[in-house]
Amino acid sequence: MLHCLNSNASGSEMTVLERQRATIKWQHNNNHHQGYSSSSSPSPSSSSSISLVQVQSSSPACLAAGAWPKLDNNFLMGFTSSPSSGFPLPPPPPPTTSAASFDLNSAISRTSSCPLPSLAEGKETTTPNNKRKTDKFHNTKVVASDNDNKDKRVKVAAPNDSATVGKKGTQDCGDNSNKDNSKVSEVQNQKPDYIHVRARRGQATDSHSLAERVRREKISERMKFLQDLVPGCNKITGKAGMLDEIINYVQSLQRQVEFLSMKLAAVNPRLDFNMDDLFTREVFPACAASFPAIEMSPNMANPASYLHFNSSQQIDAGINPQDISLRRTISAPVSAPETFLDSSCFTQTLPSSTWEGDFQNLYSVAFDQARAASFPSQLFTGS
Amino acid sequence: MRNQRSVKQEFLRKWITGLRRYSCDEKKNMSFLERKKAIKLSADIAMASTRDKTTRWSQALIANASSSGDTLTGSSKNNSSRSRKKMLMMRRRRPKVKSAKKEMSASCIAKRLAEKRTRKLKNLLPGGESIDEGCLVEETLDYIESLRAQIEVMRYLVTASQLIINPYP
Repeated sequence: MLHCLNSNASGSEMTVLERQRATIKWQHNNNHHQGYSSSSSPSPSSSSSISLVQVQSSSPACLAAGAWPKLDNNFLMGFTSSPSSGFPLPPPPPPTTSAASFDLNSAISRTSSCPLPSLAEGKETTTPNNKRKTDKFHNTKVVASDNDNKDKRVKVAAPNDSATVGKKGTQDCGDNSNKDNSKVSEVQNQKPDYIHVRARRGQATDSHSLAERVRREKISERMKFLQDLVPGCNKITGKAGMLDEIINYVQSLQRQVEFLSMKLAAVNPRLDFNMDDLFTREVFPACAASFPAIEMSPNMANPASYLHFNSSQQIDAGINPQDISLRRTISAPVSAPETFLDSSCFTQTLPSSTWEGDFQNLYSVAFDQARAASFPSQLFTGS
Repeated sequence: MRNQRSVKQEFLRKWITGLRRYSCDEKKNMSFLERKKAIKLSADIAMASTRDKTTRWSQALIANASSSGDTLTGSSKNNSSRSRKKMLMMRRRRPKVKSAKKEMSASCIAKRLAEKRTRKLKNLLPGGESIDEGCLVEETLDYIESLRAQIEVMRYLVTASQLIINPYP
């Protein structure tokens, strides 16, 4: 375990990977040795503490930095006492350090914001928790320090190295690319540890989870748009409820279309829609006025009156269309020239030639109709 | 988002053109239901063509219409078959992952509810069975907007036609 420290390492230039392997092994051994009446050797197992300290110093951004205060003094002293090059092989670690290790573990667990089961319980039960906590802790530190491929290797390597005690949760998140499994393991992880935080630490470095999270955020963004569009969705939070509302809305819209088409079929005995008549009735407030807006601006006879006409229509658009038509008759003098212009423009833009023959007749008919509708004759002289 | 007025104009124009073509072809008097079907169909197609094949639902709508033997959409048959094939391919590429365990936690229940509803929404949307969730929401947005525009224009047409018959009640 710590032999490898000596063999591989060149002094303090251990890689993060090796350091963490060492710490895990140390922890493991530490926990195992609890059962034995370990001789209290005064050597403060500085090597193990050194490895811990090195881990600490290597990652300045480590989250648990604040939780190490009571350990710092002992460890640092141990560090300074022994030379950095050689690591003396540790005897079975003394109970003092074991107690410190428990504190360490609890500190770690505190920082990772999950309450541990009481340490007074059997050591075996605490071992998996500790293991998981420390691994998670290592994961967090790794994530905090550097986000490159090393992280993945460390995460995968750590469980392989350590003993096979109740491995679940975050390590599986790293290994599995299957979304379902990661979610299941998340749930498992949450149950015994009372964590309500989604194990983002385990997920953050996984490319699949990252992509999934991005996708989820995209979806939620679009759902917000839908919330604005669908009336009555503002109060509802939650995907299922909103989806329900959206489904109802789409269904109602589709039913409206059906109903309106039925109504149109009933109103027209034949499928002939005389656009000219429709325009002269002036029931297309926004549509009719908007046709010239885009297509016939050069042909505008009197733009000022048109603008006035347009604005008045838009205000009225929300009201009962029958009222609109009544109001039209009052403002008819202004609008009569426009409608003619509208219809002429409409036919000009249409490519189909079948219109024009009919149109000429309709034009004259509409003209007569307009005349018959008691418009003052001055208008036509004016236009 | 889009210019609603121009969309409505375009829709109206295309719709009337389509209806005219329809009425010119069929010289005999059509029954009420036939007329209603013709109106609705031409309205749907006009609405779909305003999107100009940028959205999947519009493509699917046109494809379905052309497959039902409608004469209005002669040219889009090739596109419809291609899009159909694409849809089938997509469906095959996405097998549903069945989780072996049955977990009754709240999150799983919620997830299942949401899945049921997404499936329902997919069935509502034309051509929506083989869309993934990310695009589903976009398509729904687009579809709702177009439906709204369509309904407004149709409503105006209805009132206009009604007023022609009995001008000032």
